[in-house]
Amino acid sequence: MENLVQAALANVNFSAIMPSLVLVCFGMALLLIGVFSRRGRTTHIAWISIIGLVITGIYTYIDWVNPETQFGFAGHVAQDNFAVFFNIIFIAAAGLTILISDDYLKREGYPISEYYALILFSTAGAMWMASGTDLMTIFLGLEVLSISLYVLAGMFRNDVRSNEAGLKYFLLGAFSTGFLLYGVALLYGVAGTTNVADIGMYLSAHKAALGNPMTIAGMVLLSTGFMFKIAIVPFHMWTPDVYQGAPTPITAFMSAGPKAAAIAAFLRILMFGLPELHAEWGAMLWLLAVLTMTVGNFIAISQTNIKRMLAYSSIAHAGYALVGLVAANEVGLSGILYYMLAYTFMNIGAFAVLILAGKQGEENLTLDGFAGFGYKRPFLGVALCVFLFSLMGLPPTAGFAGKFYVFAGAVKAGYIWLAIIGVLNSAVSLYYYLRVMVYMYFREPTEDYSWISMPVGAVISIVIALFGVLYLGLLPDCVMEMAKMSIF
Amino acid sequence: MATVLFYILSAIALTATLLCVTRRNPVHAIIYLVHAFFALALLFYVLGAPLVAAWEVIIYAGAIMVLFMFIIMMLELAPSQELQGLVWSRLLPVVLLSLTVLGATFAIIAFDPGGVDGIPVYFATPRDFGYTLFKEYALAVEVVSFQLLFAAVGGYYVGRTDKKKGGRK
Repeated sequence: MENLVQAALANVNFSAIMPSLVLVCFGMALLLIGVFSRRGRTTHIAWISIIGLVITGIYTYIDWVNPETQFGFAGHVAQDNFAVFFNIIFIAAAGLTILISDDYLKREGYPISEYYALILFSTAGAMWMASGTDLMTIFLGLEVLSISLYVLAGMFRNDVRSNEAGLKYFLLGAFSTGFLLYGVALLYGVAGTTNVADIGMYLSAHKAALGNPMTIAGMVLLSTGFMFKIAIVPFHMWTPDVYQGAPTPITAFMSAGPKAAAIAAFLRILMFGLPELHAEWGAMLWLLAVLTMTVGNFIAISQTNIKRMLAYSSIAHAGYALVGLVAANEVGLSGILYYMLAYTFMNIGAFAVLILAGKQGEENLTLDGFAGFGYKRPFLGVALCVFLFSLMGLPPTAGFAGKFYVFAGAVKAGYIWLAIIGVLNSAVSLYYYLRVMVYMYFREPTEDYSWISMPVGAVISIVIALFGVLYLGLLPDCVMEMAKMSIF
Repeated sequence: MATVLFYILSAIALTATLLCVTRRNPVHAIIYLVHAFFALALLFYVLGAPLVAAWEVIIYAGAIMVLFMFIIMMLELAPSQELQGLVWSRLLPVVLLSLTVLGATFAIIAFDPGGVDGIPVYFATPRDFGYTLFKEYALAVEVVSFQLLFAAVGGYYVGRTDKKKGGRK
């Protein structure tokens, strides 16, 4: 009995999952604090969750400074630079989301304490996905992330759209999980292990297994599962409805954090587990990247609801990230990491302004609602412009640098046409982003926007996002070096 | 022997699952699902995994099915039409399926009690299994237990009744 316990403890290495552990502990503490708080009081809970994220950030920093990779739990997690970089993205996404949430939830009449705990839980799930080196850990991380998000998307229980979003996300998410699990099972059947690196080693040692239809089928099904989560065309159908129906801060969070988590896990599996199949998945992703960019951008043009437009634009942005994955070289892969970080800042920033522009029970999301907004609300107007410029990919913003690295990676790897299609798509996207600015500055204001208050959290969030977008855009070298150190 | 049984049991599992998803009456669907689980359990046994076979029966056919029944009864999903007499055409598939499953079980017990036919048994004792689970997959166990907590929080929130119409999931 004694030796069994010792043997079990020998594999435990809590320092390898320290950031996510802190988040889960804070999440559970928040649930209790929520129970003992007066109904409707959630501000302190929001700030406590921010403290939790800061502590997580400190642990992440310690992990980054420590040059040795922390392995733990019999090789099921690895806190390598790659995981740490993505942890930074998740912490940024969760922190910015929580900052913009408090005032919004009170305005809409849902001051719920579980909300913050669920955001922390889903962030922990995202961290397990990024640091998981075993298909089992990655899958469980994905489930933790998704289950929290299903509830968050359906948080507004008396709002039909939010209910629809929650239910739709739940059903399609469960469906896509089936694909993922089937792919895992097939790869396990081929290689006899669920460890990502071992699968890669097995496949490079047994070239005959590469021709096995089971390997290809496993790879395709696994990719399908992830593509549902990243919202790659043709698995994107749920995205607009879910993004539109979910509470706006959650939409912002979903488009940044979980998407990055799915990309992280996908990247690790493809680069570590299935590098031998690069020709196959490269060809598949090439086509899907083109489809995703084009469909996302062209449908976004016809949207008049800004939230829905940003949903389609997030599909297009996932396509840009795929371009780097197709290239699969140093510039392209580190470009993805850079791009996801940049996207987190610019997208959540844009959503933060959208949230502030709304009134109680009536979110101001149509283009007409922004007529003259830039003159009446100069700070918010300029901030939204910066975020939109970044989403377009114009210098000197983060979006430009991110797109530059991703496309440069594609060119370097010889995918000239892919890069050209990507750049043309960026040009298409100019239209719908610029249209918002046209409404903001070239239309006569019909409202005076006097209802807009400036809550502290949201302002901090916008300022941080602005700083992030401009810093990553003006001085990309430092972060790009970090991203380069983070890939394998 | 094992090969023949394998195909028979696979056919049962597939047929039962197909019938399960096409039934309109949820209780009938559950009956078929139980058949599928039993067939799967035998399949695991034939493939040399008796421990998994036992779990399939205990956890899926036992616990989870009862849970399904509970939910159906709580939500009163079953059509409330008057109970009709037992119709042969409706009973026939159930009877056929259950007889085949029973027949397969007896065939295994009668002809191959040691489970030596087919794939050799890697007999994982529950102790071995627990050892591997907590040694190799400790993190997975922890994450699953966290996950149940989050799911409970979510379920509690979504299912909580308040003044107006509650959410559903």
